[in-house]
Amino acid sequence: MAKPNLESREKILRKLRGRELINCFQCIKCTSGCTALKLLELKPHEIEKLVNFSFVDELASSDIIWTCATCLKCVQRCPQKASPYHVIVALRNLAVEREAKVPEAFMKAVSQILETGLAEAYQKVTTRKMEACDRESLKLPEIPAPKAGFQAVFLKALEER
Amino acid sequence: MRVKVAVFWGCCILASQYAYEMSVREVLPKLGVELVDLREVLCCGDPVRSVNDFAANYLSMRVLALANLTGLSDLLVPCNRCHFTISEAKRAVERDEKVREKIVGMLKAEGLEYNSDIKVWHVIDLLHDCIDLKGVGKAVVRPLKALKLASHVGCQIIRYSDLGRVDDAENPRKMDELICATGAESVDYNEKLDCCGSHLMLSHPDTALSLAGGKVKALQSLGVDGLVVSCPDCGLMFDSKQKEAGTTIGAKLNLPVLYLTQLLGLALNIEQEKLGLQLNQSPVEQLLSKISA
Repeated sequence: MAKPNLESREKILRKLRGRELINCFQCIKCTSGCTALKLLELKPHEIEKLVNFSFVDELASSDIIWTCATCLKCVQRCPQKASPYHVIVALRNLAVEREAKVPEAFMKAVSQILETGLAEAYQKVTTRKMEACDRESLKLPEIPAPKAGFQAVFLKALEER
Repeated sequence: MRVKVAVFWGCCILASQYAYEMSVREVLPKLGVELVDLREVLCCGDPVRSVNDFAANYLSMRVLALANLTGLSDLLVPCNRCHFTISEAKRAVERDEKVREKIVGMLKAEGLEYNSDIKVWHVIDLLHDCIDLKGVGKAVVRPLKALKLASHVGCQIIRYSDLGRVDDAENPRKMDELICATGAESVDYNEKLDCCGSHLMLSHPDTALSLAGGKVKALQSLGVDGLVVSCPDCGLMFDSKQKEAGTTIGAKLNLPVLYLTQLLGLALNIEQEKLGLQLNQSPVEQLLSKISA
């Protein structure tokens, strides 16, 4: 049985830094316009309600928080400034803290940034005629990776809660 | 009008969406914008936001600190996602003294200086509000009268309004006006505000491709000559991945997709190769043959 956990709810509220989650009156404007509703069944108003009822632990370990397309329509349209997007981001952060299921691509991006400064590796692309190109052949300038000190500072930043 | 701005490209443009970078580097100086690259590459923090909010804010503030090193007070960020991430971080850090103190200290450890006064621009508002439509129109030497185009402005550059975005959240017009400044026609369509799905490539790639494919399919049935984008993520989804998106939704997709700066470059009569038009994976020849006819 799912159990409410008031402490976890407090944690989410702290991460929201004053955004008024409690004001959500379930008008469902967020869900009506949600990009991920049709294909992934994300219902932002339900997430709001569950967090308000302190069912945070279930959400933090659920796949549903990773279905948000971050289109921000819910933030824009919420009449109560309860912003489901920001609640979802806070839940994702909590999921990472608790080492719950996190899509691999996110952690891969972090380690890529540590290594090179960028979240993606430089790619070889092809023209429509299938000729291979890269930055050099396209005469695009080379911009250096972050200086040596960056890695340590970024690691420190990742330890902050 | 002449302006000098620092430019932060983010990851996607530097690592794969070369056509956007090429066309920005080619077109903006011709419209009076001098670009100054930052000292280093860096991620804005967008994918990190889902992992650790603080670390994402630190990365964004580090971007502004790198911009600060150029001595310029304006920063061009041509990626919607980076533009949003930096704007959000800027506000969060300005409002939270504790977070700010920590980040200032971290930047100091690297010899960098926190500066939240740097104004962040996107290609859309830099051209529309700063160079302005008259300035853009004056530079056009080959009006693209034959073209009927749709615009996709993307999500994070127009939402959410409280944060201060480049255009109206529900009825964005600036990109359409820039398209019209080239002499082309810009059409309105029902799916205009639909998301390209790019963020879901990280967790649900099939859904992401379905979202992109669905929008392209709807536009095809409208009979437009092409779709204009101004974000590398949207370009990736609608252009680079158009074929894959078609396979995912079981439709034959062949809609020319190009960057706003590529379109402007054509109107300025810049060589196609310099605009990176050979790199677009969608059938842009269809559109190019219409303007050379």
